Amino acid sequence: MNSIIEAIHKGIEKSGVDRKKISIPSDIPFEPETVKSLGVDYFQVPRGRAIAFGSGLKLGNPDLKVIPVVGDLMTLGGNHFVHGTRRNMELLVLCINNFVYHKIAGKSVSVVTEAFSPYSTFEEPFNFPHLGNSCGAVYTARWTALHTSELAESIAEALHKRGMSMIEILAPGPSYYRYITHLDSELMQFYFDNSILKNNEDPRNVAITADKKIVVGKFTDKERPTFIDSYNTQHKKILGDEFTPHGPVFDKAGGGNG
Amino acid sequence: MKADKSGVLTGSHILSGNEACAEGALAAGCRFLGLYPIVPSLEVSKRFLQRAPEVGATFIQMEDEVSALAAVLGASWTGKKSMTVTSGPGFSLMMEHLGLGVMLETPCVIVEIQMVGPGLGLPTRPAQGDIMQSRWGSHGDYEIIAFAPSSAQEMFDFTIKAFNLSERYRVPVALMSDAYVAQLKEKVAIPSADQINIEPRRYYGGPRDSYLPFKRDEDFVPPMVDIGQGYRFHVTGLTHDDRGYPIMFEECQEYNVHPLVRKIRDFTDKIIDIEEKNTNDAEVVIISYGVSSRASLKVVEQARSKGHKVGSLKLNTVWPFPEKRVAELASQVKAFVVPEMNFGQVVQEVERSAYGKANIFFLTHGDNGVEYAGDILAAVEEASQMKETKCGITEWKKRSA
Repeated sequence: MNSIIEAIHKGIEKSGVDRKKISIPSDIPFEPETVKSLGVDYFQVPRGRAIAFGSGLKLGNPDLKVIPVVGDLMTLGGNHFVHGTRRNMELLVLCINNFVYHKIAGKSVSVVTEAFSPYSTFEEPFNFPHLGNSCGAVYTARWTALHTSELAESIAEALHKRGMSMIEILAPGPSYYRYITHLDSELMQFYFDNSILKNNEDPRNVAITADKKIVVGKFTDKERPTFIDSYNTQHKKILGDEFTPHGPVFDKAGGGNG
Repeated sequence: MKADKSGVLTGSHILSGNEACAEGALAAGCRFLGLYPIVPSLEVSKRFLQRAPEVGATFIQMEDEVSALAAVLGASWTGKKSMTVTSGPGFSLMMEHLGLGVMLETPCVIVEIQMVGPGLGLPTRPAQGDIMQSRWGSHGDYEIIAFAPSSAQEMFDFTIKAFNLSERYRVPVALMSDAYVAQLKEKVAIPSADQINIEPRRYYGGPRDSYLPFKRDEDFVPPMVDIGQGYRFHVTGLTHDDRGYPIMFEECQEYNVHPLVRKIRDFTDKIIDIEEKNTNDAEVVIISYGVSSRASLKVVEQARSKGHKVGSLKLNTVWPFPEKRVAELASQVKAFVVPEMNFGQVVQEVERSAYGKANIFFLTHGDNGVEYAGDILAAVEEASQMKETKCGITEWKKRSA
């Protein structure tokens, strides 16, 4: 988890975005002192609601850069993700995938599942990049807790994307650390052995299954009008000059005056 | 502070309760509406959306009521006065974030147009069945403020009051209306902006480095800052200390949650809003709220003309409950008559507060009807002839039934 915080830290630094304009609503508890070091405003909200809460933050103050960090494999917040992506709300969603739903063979990972479920798990996981891509996300990527520098690059890049960006991060849930202290190094070895880098791969082919390697990389990078763009365009069309646009206005070339 | 002129549609209008509520919100300075549409609350959002571009307000239709209130809480932290509007089933979904709003001490207003439940109930038909839910619906201990308007004018006035109290006490405030009041078209007088008092948000004024998001003032209310100003604060829905850091100890639960309760309980005298009519010499007092109070006030006139000493206590705020005043009246009167459009909610609070000193007659209209003045009058007449005081609630039934 700390390696992810570090990657967020580096990503923000590389992106050059003003830290005071960044806020992180999260449904998984970060260590307060660690998140303090990020220098951002932080909200811990109920499970699965980070994207919904973040939508309010972004609409309330469109100058903000909002980075919802979600766990739980979006079981609770799945619909918020689907609809946030559909309306292209300008958020950078970091989805921490802790394998609880994954039936991957391998010692480390089975330890994770056994810690949660004595007979391991038998459910199919989501293919998140594919889900995000098909709902209309402008940026999707997947990295593991091992790929911190790539993750940082990705975060820096995605922070400048206009619209819903999604980065899936394979990492152990922080609460497991309390019980399984040896997990860290073993899992890193597992990530090292089993991940394969394929940038621009078709998201349909990147599902995590038991028999294939974990595909990491950047899968989607496209442009699409954001929710606030569409909100302004529609009102402008009907109300004409009487309408004062909400938030910074961007022209079609992608440049902005805000 | 006076209201922002751009949101105030000064003049005399014919508005439905829902439309008056939207006007009240805009007059109070509400600039964000997060909603998921549900009948019979649609006109609030329609009116708000129609007027939003004129006043620079924003809105979003979220994917469900859970996210609608989540977005409202988020928007409130950016410094925008925010509200959501819903009806019974949506209100049930909002309970998770009602609790979060209490814990994060986020000012916002939840307008609930009550309809008949439980489950899917009788959609679009009026009821008052969610009064207890507004008080106890979310898990854990908390106190909340809830208004019960009885007319379109009160929908306007109470919406402004709801925003003011939510900013003053940093707590979500519920406006518990019902489908009848919401759809009723009536004359609404909207005063000019300089006649509307607005409670400004209590902002932190000290040095940036020493800001603690939950450091309370003497009245238990911590001052706020907007996000994106570089305060770098940490806020959590877990039990937390002044810094907003989660602390998993019992002592912290007391330190954190007790003030959430006390900031309302210690100031109930300032929050409670009740209207009394002819209670000075009354032998029977009708306690009612919302649309039921319209019939009750009529009954007071009719009963007085027949020579019965009858008064009315109208609850403008149902929560916190005016238990002191009800206890005072209990030792004066023979009986309370409580008409409600449910199977007994506020009447239980009346019973608790009366402490066995007065008879309590309960008129149920849980079957989606508004009380007939005739029924209330008959109950009042029966109550005024009671010789002795019985414990508990007497459910009054029509004599013909």
